[in-house]
Amino acid sequence: MNGMRRTLAVRVGGLLSALLVGATLVGCDEASDGRPVIVVSTNILGDVVEEVVGSEAQVVTLMRPDADPHSFEISARDAARLRSADLVVSNGLGLEEGLQQHLDAADDDGVPGFVAGQAVDVIDYADGDAAGTPDPHFWTDPARMVDVVDGLVEALAGLDGVDAATVREQATAYTEQLRAVDAAMTSEFAAVPAARRALVTNHHVFGYLADRYDFRIVGSVIPGGTTLAAPSASDLADLVSAVEETGVRTVFAESSSPDRLVRALAEEAGIEVDVVELYTESLTAEGGGAEDYLTMMRVNAERIAGGLR
Amino acid sequence: MPSRAPALALMGLIVPIGLACSAPGQDTAAPRDEPATEEDHGKVAGAAELSEPAYGLTTVDPSGVVRHLDLVEGAETGIADLGPATKVQTDGRFLFVDVAGGVDVVDSGVWTWDHVDHFHYYRAEPRGVGRLTGAGPSNVATTTSSTSGGTGVFFTETGEAVLLDTAALADGGLTERYRLEVPPHEGLLVPVGEHALLTEPGPDGTPDRVVALDPEGERLPGAAHRCERASGTITTRVGTVVGCADGALLATSDGDRLKVERIPYPAGRPAPRATSFAGRDGRPTVAALAGRDRIWLLDNRQRAWRLLDAPVALRQVTAVDDDDEHVLGLTVDGRVAVIDGVTGDLLSTTPPLAAASLGSGVGEPVLVVDQQRAYLSAPAERRLHEIDFRDGARVARTFPTPTSPLFTAGTGR
Repeated sequence: MNGMRRTLAVRVGGLLSALLVGATLVGCDEASDGRPVIVVSTNILGDVVEEVVGSEAQVVTLMRPDADPHSFEISARDAARLRSADLVVSNGLGLEEGLQQHLDAADDDGVPGFVAGQAVDVIDYADGDAAGTPDPHFWTDPARMVDVVDGLVEALAGLDGVDAATVREQATAYTEQLRAVDAAMTSEFAAVPAARRALVTNHHVFGYLADRYDFRIVGSVIPGGTTLAAPSASDLADLVSAVEETGVRTVFAESSSPDRLVRALAEEAGIEVDVVELYTESLTAEGGGAEDYLTMMRVNAERIAGGLR
Repeated sequence: MPSRAPALALMGLIVPIGLACSAPGQDTAAPRDEPATEEDHGKVAGAAELSEPAYGLTTVDPSGVVRHLDLVEGAETGIADLGPATKVQTDGRFLFVDVAGGVDVVDSGVWTWDHVDHFHYYRAEPRGVGRLTGAGPSNVATTTSSTSGGTGVFFTETGEAVLLDTAALADGGLTERYRLEVPPHEGLLVPVGEHALLTEPGPDGTPDRVVALDPEGERLPGAAHRCERASGTITTRVGTVVGCADGALLATSDGDRLKVERIPYPAGRPAPRATSFAGRDGRPTVAALAGRDRIWLLDNRQRAWRLLDAPVALRQVTAVDDDDEHVLGLTVDGRVAVIDGVTGDLLSTTPPLAAASLGSGVGEPVLVVDQQRAYLSAPAERRLHEIDFRDGARVARTFPTPTSPLFTAGTGR
């Protein structure tokens, strides 16, 4: 095998030889063990699938940590993996735009697929240009993730080479953890007075969290760097009215210059708020604070409850 | 390229071997240590996602020096030195610069991806991409994406129409998907999804129709649309507009299918037709001048024109398409006018910021808008101005430039 590869590599040259060396590095020193291969699109679902399937299958997650689920792209090798997988798990509801053609190709090839978005009660975006179209960010509600696991376990149990009883056991155990996080979030949020259960945010992903825990999403323009360079009261009007209307002391926003924003709000509008970031669409790399889905949910809940109490 | 076919065949052979040998459990969320072929060309490498837009103004001076003003940091850096330029067009990321011998493409390194429900913002190293060979002035037609689809370049003196692969530009290379030739005229090659529209001249030498092309540049059977004196194109979230003597064509692509609708001018209110369109990047409503004294607003979503009386004589106009329906104009005396797009009332004006530029003819000022700010270049004054149009047309910041910003592109958009 190796001899043949070298011969080919020499004949074809640069690109292919690089490809072959790479394949050798990641591949054949550890022989395939015959377990089914599950390819998962997003890293949030990748974590959930791993928890449920355990060592019963190989799980390949395409989206890297700290990436964007809408736009990430995959290598030719990953595309081939998708098409030869035993099961493809995706989010659906239009989330994986950059990946959709590959998901479609796998589907056309007859690869079995599990679309998580089809297992949950879907809500639509409430406002903005996307109003009325399905919101794909169901994971901000861990109770909906329970529904995903319920559907997923059936897809997994039916795979050749997977011990159905083991997978069902693991699914039950993980569901308990999901329910525990759901309960913890409920009690965290119980400390927030009903009138202040408002997320003033420029994030577009918290519709399901709001739906589950009875929050209002108050979408707001968060002035960016060009505006904050020389701001006026009118630049902050939208945000100020959102803060005043809700009475919250914390704005949940991604901002490249949160300090400048806090200062501008104090100087131009006389309001004192904190600007806090939340985890939105991706797990983080090790040390990033949201290495797995359950942690991501817990940390967000703590930040929200802490900011609004 | 003789080596290509065997290489592909070999890849077909080899990839499955790699697959069969995948290390169990090792691949999950692991850094890719195998060579990912798409990534070898710099598509992802060096591009950082940002939490807010990296708006900039990328300028070309009379000697062809390209500079980028980062509007967040207020810092200016040099990108390239192209030699004398005669025209600059942009898609909000790339600059298409007419130079002797063709069109030089420069990547400003900053762009926005419009996902409709939200946006993503990116920054990479700015760089010169290369020169598209051609002769004479070019008309460039772009889409709302600077990472996918095509970019159309039409050389008006030779009638050559080139569709550039935009994803290849993002990777740092010039790839012509096709190059066609029609009789020379003031024409356009307009990408619409995977398709394109190409103008063709009538007996008097002005364009009188557009023909629809498939992704390979082949004419789609029977797909010619009357469009007399075609002029002006813009792409919004809704679709792609081409201006015609009697209205506009609105083209949309639904994967495999190209659809072309006609939006006629309203009857009973004769006014000069629109010959160029401008608006905030991607927004459905765009503006055009109807002479100096009136403004056309074309709402792509409603498929409807609206004619406004301009409160002051205008030289340029653009639509912000925000909740307050602001329309901004460059007045004939070099001020920025903030206009209520519903009533046509004049809300505020800046002092004359580009009077010398308009008087001397050194270069045409460029007016760029985003949701919060507008920018005006003043080539003769050597200034770039930032205007807060929601606060009495306050000049928020002014950036002096070391040389004349003869051409300016709004980038990071």
